[in-house]
Amino acid sequence: MFVHIFRYRLKCLFKDKVTIFWTMIFPLVLATFFQLALANIGNNERFSPIEVAVVNDENYNNNQIFKTVLNEVSTGEERIFNLQTVTLENAARLLQDGEIAGYMVAETPVRLVVSKSGLRQNIIKIFLDRFMQTSSAAMAVRAQDFDSIGKEVLEEVSISKAEPNIHLNYFYSLIAMACFYGSLFGLREVMEIQADNSSIAARINIAPTHKLKAFIYSMCASFFIHIVELLILLIYLILVLKVDFGARIGYVLLTTIIGSIAGVSFGAIVSALIKKKEGLKIAILITFSMVCSFLAGMMMHSIKYSVSENVPILSYLNPVNLLTDALYSLHFFDSLSRYWLNMALLTMFILVFWFGTYFIVRRRKYASI
Amino acid sequence: MVIRVKNLVKRYGNLVALDHLSLDVKEGEIFGLLGPNGSGKTTAINCILSLLKFDKGDIEVFNKPMTPESYDTKRDIGIVMQNVAVYKELTVYENIDYFCGLYVPDKVKRKQLVDEAIQFVGLEDYVKFQPKKLSGGLLRRLNIACGIAHKPKLIILDEPTVAVDPQSRNKILEGILELNRQGATIVYTSHYMEEVEQICSRILIIDKGKAIASGTKEELKNMITIGEKITLQTYGLTPEQISAAGNLPNVLSAEYNGSNLVIKSTKGKNNLESVLDFAKQEGIQFGTIYSELPTLNDVFLEITGKELRD
Repeated sequence: MFVHIFRYRLKCLFKDKVTIFWTMIFPLVLATFFQLALANIGNNERFSPIEVAVVNDENYNNNQIFKTVLNEVSTGEERIFNLQTVTLENAARLLQDGEIAGYMVAETPVRLVVSKSGLRQNIIKIFLDRFMQTSSAAMAVRAQDFDSIGKEVLEEVSISKAEPNIHLNYFYSLIAMACFYGSLFGLREVMEIQADNSSIAARINIAPTHKLKAFIYSMCASFFIHIVELLILLIYLILVLKVDFGARIGYVLLTTIIGSIAGVSFGAIVSALIKKKEGLKIAILITFSMVCSFLAGMMMHSIKYSVSENVPILSYLNPVNLLTDALYSLHFFDSLSRYWLNMALLTMFILVFWFGTYFIVRRRKYASI
Repeated sequence: MVIRVKNLVKRYGNLVALDHLSLDVKEGEIFGLLGPNGSGKTTAINCILSLLKFDKGDIEVFNKPMTPESYDTKRDIGIVMQNVAVYKELTVYENIDYFCGLYVPDKVKRKQLVDEAIQFVGLEDYVKFQPKKLSGGLLRRLNIACGIAHKPKLIILDEPTVAVDPQSRNKILEGILELNRQGATIVYTSHYMEEVEQICSRILIIDKGKAIASGTKEELKNMITIGEKITLQTYGLTPEQISAAGNLPNVLSAEYNGSNLVIKSTKGKNNLESVLDFAKQEGIQFGTIYSELPTLNDVFLEITGKELRD
């Protein structure tokens, strides 16, 4: 039965021109436009240490841990920061003149002052977040082991040796968007299994086939075809548009597969929850995907940083941003902790989508058809 | 008994869609469920198929309670929906094969059944066509093939001839009679009384979710007082002539609309002769005169006070 349903679902989905357009053709076209638009900007830049300042006051001098860690990450060839120790007034002036990306004040907790959002400011913030998290944990265990704290922070925040390209974020969010356009597949699967949604579904419900099994087999076909589409997109990005995804291609593939599952599952739960016509459901899914992609920085990369700085919770609740950020952290950081955090959150989303869909779709009888 | 429904009640909020509906369908018969649009025919079918929740009542199919998990029972049921339920991306052959495959896993057996179904509905020349390339009538035939390809013992057809051309309609009705001859029990819902009269061996008339009459078409017609309806096409009758027509022997009523005088009589051998004598006596010139036996519409009209097509 699995082969029978799976094979015919593949045929149906493959010939569904509207869905194929949104899930494969549109991302390919958009990627081409991105490449054309960004090629002229030519903003490839090798990573150089970030110019930062720390305010040299009594708190700073008394906070030996912070002082040691900051020095640790500001020395050597692979340093993150070019650190200046200055007065508060000088720090403000340097920031105003654009000579530093931000300055830190050793209060409790350490305060970061920046004049705008961006990649460099984001790195400083990640460094401080990791420092505060690691130092408070370490303080409880070994009060004097400043060096090891510095190493842990450095390990967490260290920048990979790949050439960072700020424009990569556009392609990351594009992949994430393509993943969530897979929601159109999930939508169709639910439409064609819920007897109150379509006549085809009513016919399937009357057949001597277990409804949930038929639904799962159909969903497998949707996952399969969408993953294939995403692989085509990745191959096009890597081989044709020459987008550099770094050395971690295996992780990129994993992220894409998880993203596809999240996207298709999202479409399924929205379709199951909203008892409206198919056109409205499609509009809701496409709008949602576009808004989430916008907030993940697909149209303007600074939006991503603004959201993570001003409304951090939104960064974690936006599945498109989680995917974008996972790809971003794969390329940009040696450490995988941020990557796995994103993956864990996405997996939680997938589980919520699955359980939600299950509780709605498992119903066998309907109040009205 | 193939289907037994007892005191079925289905409500949509304050609206009672089925009001203590009971019916029995016997093996080998063509059972007609006749009623105007919105009378509850499709709701009853959906409840029988265990698609719809209902408030009260018992439903048995093949002498077993019907539930969504009654897979053995479902295997012997074929359904032809009111709306065409096929995949627009698949060809005629693939659609029939897909739905048949939900009942018959064996590939070889399925191929034979699909070929037979295609031949049965006369779609041999269209097997590679997608549904969008088929006319309305051919699409309906495909819809039927998808429902009957697995050779079910019970076939439920819910208004299968809506928006179908006369040629396809005749093909469909002939097909239903053939399926019945081959041994299938048929439940046929329609608001076309002529079709129901033509093919059904037993009929249940429902209105507003209630069963109002049931029996063979002869039994139903015997329930009403009208035995014959005579129509004269004529112009310029006076009120006195109309009144005199109403007073003829066996006549129940005489109604005149300016061009047709319709005289309804009880059963009798000489009604037409008596009307002809009356016309001669009164010097009434008429274009045509014809006599009709009562229809199911007359049955419905007499019981409910409204036309079946209202």
